[in-house]
Amino acid sequence: MSDVEDVPETQLEIDVSDGAGLEEEDDDDMEQITAQKVLEILETAWINEMCAPEILPSQTDMLELMVSQVAHMEEQMRDLDKNDFRAVVHSMELERVRYIMASYLRCRLQKIETYTQHILNQEASREPDDKRLSPEETKFAQEFAANVDEYFHKVATQYMPNQQRGEAEQRIVTPNLMSHVFLKANVAVPAVIVGVDDEEVDMAAGSQHIIPYQLVADLIQNNQAQLI
Amino acid sequence: MSGQTKLFGDKAFDLLKELERSSQTIPAFDDDGVRQVLEEIKAIFEENVAQASSYNASGDRSLWPLLNFRHAALQRNKRCLLAYLYERCKRIKALRWEFGPIIPGDIKQSLCEPEVHFFNNYSKSLAAYMCSAGYNQGLPIDLTNNLRPPKSLYIEVRCMEDYGKFELDDGEVIHLKKNSQHYLPRAQVESLVRQGILHHIA
Repeated sequence: MSDVEDVPETQLEIDVSDGAGLEEEDDDDMEQITAQKVLEILETAWINEMCAPEILPSQTDMLELMVSQVAHMEEQMRDLDKNDFRAVVHSMELERVRYIMASYLRCRLQKIETYTQHILNQEASREPDDKRLSPEETKFAQEFAANVDEYFHKVATQYMPNQQRGEAEQRIVTPNLMSHVFLKANVAVPAVIVGVDDEEVDMAAGSQHIIPYQLVADLIQNNQAQLI
Repeated sequence: MSGQTKLFGDKAFDLLKELERSSQTIPAFDDDGVRQVLEEIKAIFEENVAQASSYNASGDRSLWPLLNFRHAALQRNKRCLLAYLYERCKRIKALRWEFGPIIPGDIKQSLCEPEVHFFNNYSKSLAAYMCSAGYNQGLPIDLTNNLRPPKSLYIEVRCMEDYGKFELDDGEVIHLKKNSQHYLPRAQVESLVRQGILHHIA
């Protein structure tokens, strides 16, 4: 099994050196960011999303870039001979990228489904600039909430005595922000407050910690640390 | 309560137990059970209303614990009932991911009408979301594909039933016959594998 773990790393490198020609064209119309960098950001976002108890800001821009990059690569691949070694490597790499994107979006949908009402309430109180859901996700969340409510109403709540119907706010599921997460510091972060009694810890760059999520939520958003 | 041997909340709890214990994908909707719980809720509620007014009138403190007890029973019933429905909701959602937008006939029988409605709505929202998730590229991302990390481009599959012709992306047409074995691109046959038409030979 262990060799499976190693494969992505090595193939990524091949992909970059080999696909460099393709990416340069794209760079002109989208400010100096390489496909490699986009993939890195997406991978971090994906891992963070998988590990964090709450929903994180959506990476709409990066996804958009990646989708167009994938489409572009597919275009190029069509000219390659099917039995060419590079074609095999490339299409495997594309499969991986596609999996990451799908898994990332799926993970977000799962959180939206579980914490629908909580997330919608939070979104309503946020400024337009720091909304965490993309417009599509917001639409999905609203439809989903309405759908569940309708189902509950049809089957049960409409038959309950009046005073017992409401209290929908009692049913809101909220994520446990104090659940522990593993994280790795990207840069040195001095004096992170851990624990209730204002105990402070200095995180060295590259060091790893287990810590309740809420205490480090802002570090993750600022990309000073990432979840693992 | 009118000579019943059962305690408050037993029925609601039974609903949940049955659901938890059933080994089917989704057991039949327990119409009867749900109705009985609803009736119990209503009965308790009415009794409570009646006694609450007599409590207000007489100020008899001895009624107070009883009122509280009934209220707790009522809350518990309600909670169990909603938990039952919520769990079914979850399973119905799982159906969408597993079988696609159409519920297989044998499973459909165990759903009640609002549940089918729920499924259809959910399916619609999800499809709309997947269409828009491709952004401006016009390429919908099918989130129900790519469920597992890819390990290899091609997989070896055995055909479990006569499926007929199957066209690959590059235009190659394969004839899928029962018990034949093929070496095919994973991405394109994943949904067939999930539907049980092809069997992945490890």
